Amino acid sequence: MLLLQLILNGLQVGAIYALTAAGFSLIFGSTKIFHFAHGATFTIAAYLFHYALTNLGLHWTLGVAIAAASAVVFGIALDRFMYAPIQRHEGSFFTVFVASFGIGIVVENVIGMVFGRSFISVSTSLSRSVELLPDLYVSPLIGLAVITAVVCFVAVHMFLMHTHAGMALRALSENTELVKTFGLSPRRLSAYAFALGSVLVVPAAIFTAASSGLNPAVGHHVMLISLAATIVGGIGSIRGAAFAGLLIGMVENVALWQMGTQWSEAITFAVLFFFIIFRPSGFFGRAAVS
Amino acid sequence: MTAYILNLLVLISIYAILSTTLNFIIGYAGIFSLAHAVFFGIGAYTSAFVAMNLTPSFFVAIPIAMAVAALTSLALALPALRVRGEYFVAASLGLQMLAVTLFSEWKGFTGGIGGVIGIPPVELFGFAVVKPWQFLVLTLACLGIVIVVIRRLVHTSFGRSLKSIRDSESAALASGKNITIIKTLSVVLSSALTALAGGLYAFYMAFINVESFMLATSVLVMAMVIIGGTGTILGPIVGATLLMLLPGALSYLSFLPQTEIGSIQQIIYGAAMVLLMIYRPGGIVSPKAGGGTA
Repeated sequence: MLLLQLILNGLQVGAIYALTAAGFSLIFGSTKIFHFAHGATFTIAAYLFHYALTNLGLHWTLGVAIAAASAVVFGIALDRFMYAPIQRHEGSFFTVFVASFGIGIVVENVIGMVFGRSFISVSTSLSRSVELLPDLYVSPLIGLAVITAVVCFVAVHMFLMHTHAGMALRALSENTELVKTFGLSPRRLSAYAFALGSVLVVPAAIFTAASSGLNPAVGHHVMLISLAATIVGGIGSIRGAAFAGLLIGMVENVALWQMGTQWSEAITFAVLFFFIIFRPSGFFGRAAVS
Repeated sequence: MTAYILNLLVLISIYAILSTTLNFIIGYAGIFSLAHAVFFGIGAYTSAFVAMNLTPSFFVAIPIAMAVAALTSLALALPALRVRGEYFVAASLGLQMLAVTLFSEWKGFTGGIGGVIGIPPVELFGFAVVKPWQFLVLTLACLGIVIVVIRRLVHTSFGRSLKSIRDSESAALASGKNITIIKTLSVVLSSALTALAGGLYAFYMAFINVESFMLATSVLVMAMVIIGGTGTILGPIVGATLLMLLPGALSYLSFLPQTEIGSIQQIIYGAAMVLLMIYRPGGIVSPKAGGGTA
């Protein structure tokens, strides 16, 4: 029964990880920007949601809207005011990574100063667990997280496959020069990628706030998961990142059967390292060994 | 006041060793490690362990610490450097988080959260280094050795191979360089020298715990390298000095809330990293102004 409980928890955590990782993978795959501040987007969305509900007492739909708006604005602003100027003169992996990392540090500390450094969580009627079977506690959040993740992935898939902007984004990940030749603007497409990628972390941020809780440094954990899932799933594959996120969430939770919670990051590291050694191109990736 | 300045100078020198060794892999090899504090920690814990259980001799404790750090980094670098640069960022971030758990759980070696207390003073030729100024001389000597070793290396064929990999991996591969071996060696060497800083830190503080070896330290050292200037000898030292003086300077500004000094400091160097990358990617000590060399 404990194992079933852990699998159910793993499903919820996995759905959250899948959404976060897919957002990062989408941005990185199409724009080639190593968006380390993706974790900062997550933190901002989660904290604003928490603030809207707990401090302002707003309805949860408004909270979701505020979180989503802030994530999109933050993502697009970074793209326009930080990455675009950097890419204009150089845009090596080094400069993009360092700037992105720097903004992550700033956000973490500003959030810490404004909202406090302690651990917070949003309590809703949905996060209360019900004893479904003897010794099996299930909160409605699990189902909700899984459904949200599925809906989001279907929507992203439809967007990428059937709209002009989506097709252009896929083209951008293949060949930037060719996209320009067809008269499309890579800058505008980049803004689409950031908007979509950033909005994908919002449900993940909200579910994390409502279930396991957060602190200002949560962004680092988010980035570890996103990077690990992107690599395990295969760089450039959103589907791969989503499956890998689910896998990592599942393995982390099932491992609790034998290990303490403090080892969950060690498990992620083990999964990542296993893939780096045995299958560096990931589930669906192109060859990565240089 | 003298004690305060001496203490600050010792810490600046230790962090200058850390930033110089990190610069060696970032600036010359183009490898981004978020796990620098791990090897700093391994050096500190191993030196403390040897000093308390075997001998506090500098020439025993430090080489053992360096060897342990070198072996650990070999295990990380060999698989992770075979593949693209992003993999190493991810793997080192994972290692950093795993190491914090290990440092706080492995009570027999690290003393858990409480840390290691009562590390004896280091002995050099049977002479215990106790006074702060004596320790400062020792640290400065180590910093000097690290700088000389790295300067020498950069000017050998090994150093030229590293720079060629940083500038164009495929070109280096085409001219017959074994990229994986060269990169791995540079990480192993950098980690061993980082452990030297760890050993000095443990002997100087006489008390260490996991707080000093967390992600925040890795980030701080990375900020020192980047703000000072990558790929130069002077840059990391300038960066280390500036960032170590920052908390003291901030505490003079009495209008700032004293409890938030740590956060304000991090916001300042985070913002500095962003602005430098937009306007001056080479850092403060940049080989050619405005142009990125890294």
